[in-house]
This record gives sequence, C-alpha cells and structure tokens, in this order.
Amino acid sequence: MNVIKILLILAVIALLMLLLRSHGTTRGGAYVKIGMVVFLVFAAYAVVRPEDVTWVAGRLGVGRGTDLVLYAFVVGFGFFAISTYLRFKELELKYARLARAMALNEADRRDQQSTGPSPDSPHG
Amino acid sequence: MPDSQSDVWLLVPVYNEAPVIAAVMTNAMQTFPNVVCVDDGSRDGSADQILTTGAHLVRHPVNLGQGAAVQTGVEYARRSPGAQYFVTFDADGQHQVDDVLRMVHRLRTEPLDIVVGTRFHGDVTHIPKLKRVVLKTAVMLSPRGRRLGLTDSHNGLRAFNRTVAMGMDITSNGMGHAPEIVEMIDEKGWRVAEEPVTILYSDYSMAKGQSLLNGVNIVFDSAVRRNRR
Repeated sequence: MNVIKILLILAVIALLMLLLRSHGTTRGGAYVKIGMVVFLVFAAYAVVRPEDVTWVAGRLGVGRGTDLVLYAFVVGFGFFAISTYLRFKELELKYARLARAMALNEADRRDQQSTGPSPDSPHG
Repeated sequence: MPDSQSDVWLLVPVYNEAPVIAAVMTNAMQTFPNVVCVDDGSRDGSADQILTTGAHLVRHPVNLGQGAAVQTGVEYARRSPGAQYFVTFDADGQHQVDDVLRMVHRLRTEPLDIVVGTRFHGDVTHIPKLKRVVLKTAVMLSPRGRRLGLTDSHNGLRAFNRTVAMGMDITSNGMGHAPEIVEMIDEKGWRVAEEPVTILYSDYSMAKGQSLLNGVNIVFDSAVRRNRR
C-alpha cells in the first residue's frame, strides 16, 4: 500500500515538472485544459457514483473515497497555484518591458527637446 | 581626467534618494562624465534633483524594482556608440569612485567581460553582522556562484563591457536580478573576476537595505527559473 502512495507522489512531481517546462507553450495550455476536463469529469463522477470512487480508492491503498477526492483536490490546487504564479511572473515581465519602453521614449523626447545630453552625443 | 573615462557609463538605479542623489552624482561625474540615472517611480522629487546635475535621466512611469531599473539603464546607455564600459552604481553613496576606476581599468587591460565587487576581503567587521550572515547564505545557496568563484553575488557594484551589455537581459524586476546575473555569466560564458571593494555603510543607507525575508522570494524565483529551462 505504501509503495503505491510513494509512486503516486512521484508521478505527481513528474507531472509538475512537465507542466513547468511546457508552461506558456500551446502544448502546455492543452495539457492544462485536458487536465481540467478530466478533473471535472472525475468530480462529477464522484458525486454520481461515490461507491466507485471508494473502490478505486481501495485499489490505490487510500482509506476512503473521500480521501481520494481530497488528494485529487490538493493536487489540482497545487497545479493551479503554480500555474497562476507563473502567469503572474510573465505578466510582470511584460508590464516592466512596457513601462521601460515608455520611459525610454520619454527620455528620448526630453533629450531632443533640451540642449542637454543625449546618448548619441555624450560628454567628453 | 574626464576625457579618458568618456567611454564609461555609470548606471544608477534611483528610488527615493532625493536627499543625497545630487551630491553623489556630482561627485561621481567629476570622474565619469556619462551617467544615466533611472528614476524608478520615486515620489520624493529625486528626478528633479537628478536634472540639476546634468546626468541623463530615464523615468519609469511606475515603480518596477532595482533589477528593472538596471536593465533600463543598460538599454539606454548601450545605444550610445561610444559606450564601451558600463558600471552599475548605487545612488546612496555606498559605492566608491576609486573602486569603479580600478574595475574599469581591469576591463581595459585584462581579458575580462565583467568585474564584480566583493566585500569579503581583509577586515570585514565594518559590515553589520546580520548582513554578513545573509550575504554568505546567499553565496552558499548558489552553486553556480561558487563554481565561478564569486564570494559576494549580491554586490551591486558591477562593471562590464559592451559584449555583456548587449547580452544583458534581466527579467526579474526586483532584487532577484543578482542571481540572475550570475546565471547569465555562467550560461553566456562571460569572463568574470572579482575585485575587493569598500561599501560605505552610513545610517542613511542602512535604513533601507534588503530584508532577510525577501531572501525567501529570491531563492524561490531562482529555483523556478532554473526548472523552466
């Protein structure tokens, strides 16, 4: 029983790495969508036929069906949290590049307006 | 002599340093005529102070972080065809112009692409103890840094040549840019050396400084960045 649990944990970590690597690519996006659909189907199924879930749980060495649902929920949440974090980092970078472009444009305008320095005609 | 350093650009990220920025810049510009200050969304009039000194000014419309400010400075300065050497320099007076001169001299005369300052040489008792512990931990957590022989990866005083400037692409906006630069050095094969430098800790500059907790953010971001490649 414990061996299966360890295998499950390893499988989750492997999936996590896979998600991280393909994040932002269309392939990654497809994986996520597939994952969401599977998750929703599983959730609906668990409501409709909880005895099946209990059976699966028993096979996997998990105590109760509800425990299995809980584990699946935790894993799903973990994926969501990481995915959201990564999207935030990407947004942050785009935002920074946008602000930088604005800053450099404004600096160019200011440099050209004043008789002051500009990067193309340094002092000395 | 100003003329002999006219191919050097100081890159100065500025965030709320109005009390000292003009004095620090005026002092630096006696040696280095080309300085670009990147005002990272200051709200205390730092930009006006900078304009009194004759330094170049680029203003971020919002606060992004020191990493973003450094990248902006690099992108501004590298557009100048005469710019051969670039030096990230603190706005608060912690860095010494003499150290910069030595580092640039090494870039001119030795086969190096980037020279980074280190505080860990000789008598380190002037560095506040907690800061010393935090810095050493940061170094320990960076196997790449150790492999490259770096003892102070979070030192903000860095001098580099045009090759590095053209390849510089900092994507972490905040203080996490320090390990990111180490990664770039490693991945792009830039030739790096360390130079002992003196960081002057005054009450003013100590009041800011990086919090220990932010170290958690930096380590986490580094780990995620590594695993995304």
